[in-house]
Amino acid sequence: MDLLTLRSCTMRFGGLTAIADLSIGLAAGDLLGLIGPNGAGKTTIFNMITGIYRPSSGQVLFDGHSIVGLKPNQIADRGIARTFQNIRLFPSMTVYETVQAAYSKGVKYGLIHAVSRCGPFHTSEEETDRAIAELLEYFELETVRNEIAISLPYGQQRKVELLRALATKPKLLLLDEPAAGMNPSEKVALMGLIERVRSDFRVSILLIDHDMRVVMGICKRLVVLDYGVKIAEGSPREIQCDSKVIEAYLGEPTE
Amino acid sequence: MRLHKSGLMLIAAIVTGFAISRFEHLINPYYYQVLIYIGINIILASSLNLINGFAGQFSLGHAGFMAVGAYTSAVVTSQLHFASSSMLNTAAFSLALLLGGIVAAIFGLLVGIPSLRLKGDYLAITTLGFGEIIRVIVQNLDFLGGARGFTGIPKLTNFVWVFSTVAIVILLVSNLINSTYGKSFLAVRDDELAAETIGISSTRVKVIAFVTGAFFAGVAGALYAHFVTYINPAQFSFLKSFEIVVMVIIGGMGSIFGVILSAILLTILPEMLRSVAQYRMVVYSLLLIVIMITRPRGLFVRTRTAKQSVALKTLR
Ligand SMILES: Nc1ncnc2c1ncn2[C@@H]1O[C@H](COP(=O)(O)OP(=O)(O)OP(=O)(O)O)[C@@H](O)[C@H]1O
Ligand SMILES: [Mg+2]
Repeated sequence: MDLLTLRSCTMRFGGLTAIADLSIGLAAGDLLGLIGPNGAGKTTIFNMITGIYRPSSGQVLFDGHSIVGLKPNQIADRGIARTFQNIRLFPSMTVYETVQAAYSKGVKYGLIHAVSRCGPFHTSEEETDRAIAELLEYFELETVRNEIAISLPYGQQRKVELLRALATKPKLLLLDEPAAGMNPSEKVALMGLIERVRSDFRVSILLIDHDMRVVMGICKRLVVLDYGVKIAEGSPREIQCDSKVIEAYLGEPTE
Repeated sequence: MRLHKSGLMLIAAIVTGFAISRFEHLINPYYYQVLIYIGINIILASSLNLINGFAGQFSLGHAGFMAVGAYTSAVVTSQLHFASSSMLNTAAFSLALLLGGIVAAIFGLLVGIPSLRLKGDYLAITTLGFGEIIRVIVQNLDFLGGARGFTGIPKLTNFVWVFSTVAIVILLVSNLINSTYGKSFLAVRDDELAAETIGISSTRVKVIAFVTGAFFAGVAGALYAHFVTYINPAQFSFLKSFEIVVMVIIGGMGSIFGVILSAILLTILPEMLRSVAQYRMVVYSLLLIVIMITRPRGLFVRTRTAKQSVALKTLR
């Protein structure tokens, strides 16, 4: 059974149909690439999955259960985490605090313990601290742990956002153009990191990029979207030769 | 580090409270009164800071919660007979403070619920209206004295009560904000949607902030009532709410120590300006304007490094 299934999903904004009758399946452990030209509807799919938009019609199943109509935080609780195309970090927080925020749901104590600092408070905080330190090391961010996250260089901000999503211990990670704004060598490094994250954290990934060369290397399967319609699906090799895909990308500026 | 600081604060405040209470009769009654007001204002501003500064929900109804606490506690103590035993007095007053806080917290819940749907200016106006509704209702309740006010409240508030509460409020707020749990408040303030996508229920955060903030505003109201011994609805108008909001803004939204300092400053300032009599409010307002122009992020907030300011600007 698939971990995530979109069944005939349609998303309309007034007269505009951003997503039309789209079906996608993602098996546990997969790293699926979602590509398509600007405005194809990629981000809209993420917003439907994460409960920010409610599909006009169709079903979204996660782990076999419908998640349509749930609030974003409930969907996050089920095990879906995401990053944003235009990075959304918490502007007042340091890198460490940002990851802490992701842990704030998972602590083993409540409000009363937090304000009185008794009961399981200290053991839980120490546990969280160790876990965060490990994550920061994995992402090579320990040197900037006390920097305000949004003051970091762009590439590191993307990493912090990825780390924040991962810290919620998701089953499925949705990454919206994580390589945007990076130079080619940074992109290669990031793709390597994403692949490592997938196996080390045993998380399934749905990865958006509009530049298909970026994702070719790590995704075994790609879905190509154009004007809200799935125009192709298959291995990178199949996609590259697909006439519809070539047509959709014709005239696309190369970066 | 901060925990250390807040723990020391708690001890220092209670010790100071006890020490000063030994010499209460020696202190000039006017200074004594100003000190009590400082304490009450710190409680009010710190609890509003939880709602406005940490959870990011701009509330203009704090005087309403204060009124609820003041009247509730006044009713409680007027029903109890005060024995000569100070132990009994202490117990009765504790009960009155607690009930004042709890009833205010219930009202906080009622305000918290509309806040789930409203943002920014709309929320500010709604909470402002809510505070005024409370005042008007009290004004029309005869058993609370109506517009004439509630008289004969026993004078039970003293240094120890006020400054122990101050210490507790500061400790609780700082413990909360410096815990992993408390980061959910800051996350909702910073970016509600991003907070939701990491599993934080913004609904929960807002309701907790309103309920806790209202609880302490209620306790502050109860302390106030049992200090002035006479309360009337006009004391809890939106002007009082504004005064508290100004303390939070001047201190720096979400800065625990900034807000304490500004509560002290803004309690003393109008007193010092008494000498210029009729120009008092003009000077006061001018000072506020100057502070806001020169230190828009709050008087006592450390200026960020240039790099951080640039990052903040690009974000907006
Ligand atoms: N909230 C909305 N209201 C109206 N239209 C919207 C909304 N969100 C998205 N759209 C429209 O839906 C279409 C798909 O947008 P979307 O952001 O999903 O594209 P995308 O594939 O992510 O593009 P890009 O590569 O530029 O990020 C666009 O035409 C966009 O204008
Ligand atoms: Mg997009």
